[in-house]
Amino acid sequence: MSGIDVDLAVNGLITGLFYALMAIGLSLIFGILKIVNFAHGEFYMVGAYAYTLIALALGVPVWIALPLAFVVGALLGWLTERTLMRPLYAGYTSWGLMRDEYAVIVTFGLSLFLINLVDKVVGPYAYRGPPLVETSRVVLGPVLISGHRLLAAGIAIAVIAVTAALIKWSFWGQQIRAVSQNRLGASLAGIDTAKASVIVFMLSGGLAAFAGALLSPVINASPDVGIFPAIKSYIIVVLGGMGSVPGAIIASLFLGVIESFGAVYISFQYRDAFGLILLMLFLLFRPQGLFGEKGREV
Amino acid sequence: MAGLLRRDMLGVALTVAAIMLPVVGAQAADPIKVGVTITQSPPGSVVQGTQVKDGLEVAAKIINDAGGVDGRKIELVIEDTQGLPEKARSAVEKLATRDKVVAITGEHQSSAALAGIEVAHRYKIPYINTNGWSDVIREKGYPEVFNPGNYNSRVGSAAAQTMKELGVKRVVSIAENTDYGIGLAKAIGEALKKVAPDVQYKYETLDRASKDFLPAILPMRANAPDAIINLMLPPAAYIMMNQLYEQGVAPSAKTWLYDGSGLADYPDFWQNVKEAGKGMLVFGLYHPKMAQPALGKQVGEAYTAKTKNEPNRLLFQAADSLFLIADAVKRAKSTDSEALIKALGETKYTGTRGEITFSKDKGYAFNQWLDVPYVTFQLTEVNQKVGDSALVSQAGQPLDPAKLWKPAK
Repeated sequence: MSGIDVDLAVNGLITGLFYALMAIGLSLIFGILKIVNFAHGEFYMVGAYAYTLIALALGVPVWIALPLAFVVGALLGWLTERTLMRPLYAGYTSWGLMRDEYAVIVTFGLSLFLINLVDKVVGPYAYRGPPLVETSRVVLGPVLISGHRLLAAGIAIAVIAVTAALIKWSFWGQQIRAVSQNRLGASLAGIDTAKASVIVFMLSGGLAAFAGALLSPVINASPDVGIFPAIKSYIIVVLGGMGSVPGAIIASLFLGVIESFGAVYISFQYRDAFGLILLMLFLLFRPQGLFGEKGREV
Repeated sequence: MAGLLRRDMLGVALTVAAIMLPVVGAQAADPIKVGVTITQSPPGSVVQGTQVKDGLEVAAKIINDAGGVDGRKIELVIEDTQGLPEKARSAVEKLATRDKVVAITGEHQSSAALAGIEVAHRYKIPYINTNGWSDVIREKGYPEVFNPGNYNSRVGSAAAQTMKELGVKRVVSIAENTDYGIGLAKAIGEALKKVAPDVQYKYETLDRASKDFLPAILPMRANAPDAIINLMLPPAAYIMMNQLYEQGVAPSAKTWLYDGSGLADYPDFWQNVKEAGKGMLVFGLYHPKMAQPALGKQVGEAYTAKTKNEPNRLLFQAADSLFLIADAVKRAKSTDSEALIKALGETKYTGTRGEITFSKDKGYAFNQWLDVPYVTFQLTEVNQKVGDSALVSQAGQPLDPAKLWKPAK
């Protein structure tokens, strides 16, 4: 493996970690509510702006601004669930009875609303978030990486691990998984499915916003900054298996590495097409994704 | 009976005349509607759209405060294209058919301009291309389309000349995947073949919506060129510049960074690039130290009073676009399209940047103001204002590389 290959592998894995932060939330929402949140990229955008403006305009230290961005994203998630999502399934215990087709329109509308709201309120200009560390270059063998990117990758690993552990072992995590498996069954067992939905939306919004905040010194906050990461997340959720958190993590890392190598050894022009090609191949040969379950619905 | 009939007819005629008089008077004072297509929301460059809008509004105010054009005020009818060709096409259609504007201007993105001029050509309505740089816009040869702004061949020859004077051997352009970016990358290649045929040149096209350019930058780190030319627009250009800097590629002791996109004009430039912008050489269409006509100074001062921002190139290009329309209406003594197009073709007008005339040569020079003034300057400090930057050369003057700032090894 040559120096540039190591470089590409490391950068691909780091990019994959950032994709994972985004995709986990989207996957959770699909698992619980069986809807695709088309405004997911805008939670990421709001997080990038929240971190940048809290740190730059209010002068709050970056290590406080970062968790605050998570809180802003979680609050936006809570607000979205209570005002826009809840009316779609209020009174229904089975997701099969939910008016989930409306969710596509509602979340798509929310996406456009948030982009234009930020454009008008904050302005069209891009803002670069302050880095967590000022070190611009760290040399690790053949790999040269910015200090912020390295630190952000470490934080992303920690946040992904904590999220996965919470979902696997915590009381609320177990309830979320139960609702994900069978909403009606979970409600018959006494689980508050509405509360599970709120928690998932808050967690999803918080994680997306946290990813946006973490990356704002790299991607620069702008009103349309969330569009591409959201598209990647949709691809990852399908590759990993709809609703599967481990699947989303592995698919994210896989996509990051594939894009990194493909951009150099095939063409940078097709970098964003690699994910779509993988998506088509999976839909043809393994539609349930890496960790999803085969199923039929009548 | 006949006398009674004549009296009645006279009465009717007087009544009609009494009704019509105010209408005729109102027509004389009706505003001159000028259509504007700009980006006011993503994914196009809203920053550029805002600068163009400010420039047009400043120019309209100057014209209207001076009594308008033969007593008629200028009214801007603004449409948002989002920088998308399909939106630009429908915006021009609406302006031409529903709003009945006398001319259309403001467009600042080549792809949108290329779509808009097709409709303007169909309706034979004057179209002043404010900032679409693509040579293809001119090469179409549409008589309705006039270009007082910059063009790719001009930047191409300026960039090639600078590369020659820097004495570089290998040059890479990083261009966005648009008509503007690809066209300009090719124009630089063509110009280099003429002025510096020994220079090895290639260009990379990157998606302007992408947020990570590392896979394109990493191979450059392994084999750094002598100069990198940026042909991307914000915000993608900022991300790319930061990643170039973080990887130690450019600006560096080995590699010059040359900007052909006017990045330093953007108010958010320094906030987004910091150290990555220090040492960058810039192809500039405006610099406070450039010689400028009195109208340019007036527009610059009015803009600063309005926005508290430093003047920028798009401000002047937009203002000139509107001044040219007003000048053509005045000379044609009409807002009829055919008369306006004829008057625009005969333009000889001292605007904000110099005396504007339109060439009739074929190709990229068609209906183009060929002598668009430009300079090369270098940003030598972080957060440096354009006015404080080092003016390296003006058009036609040689550049001395020994006087340029370069990072230490």
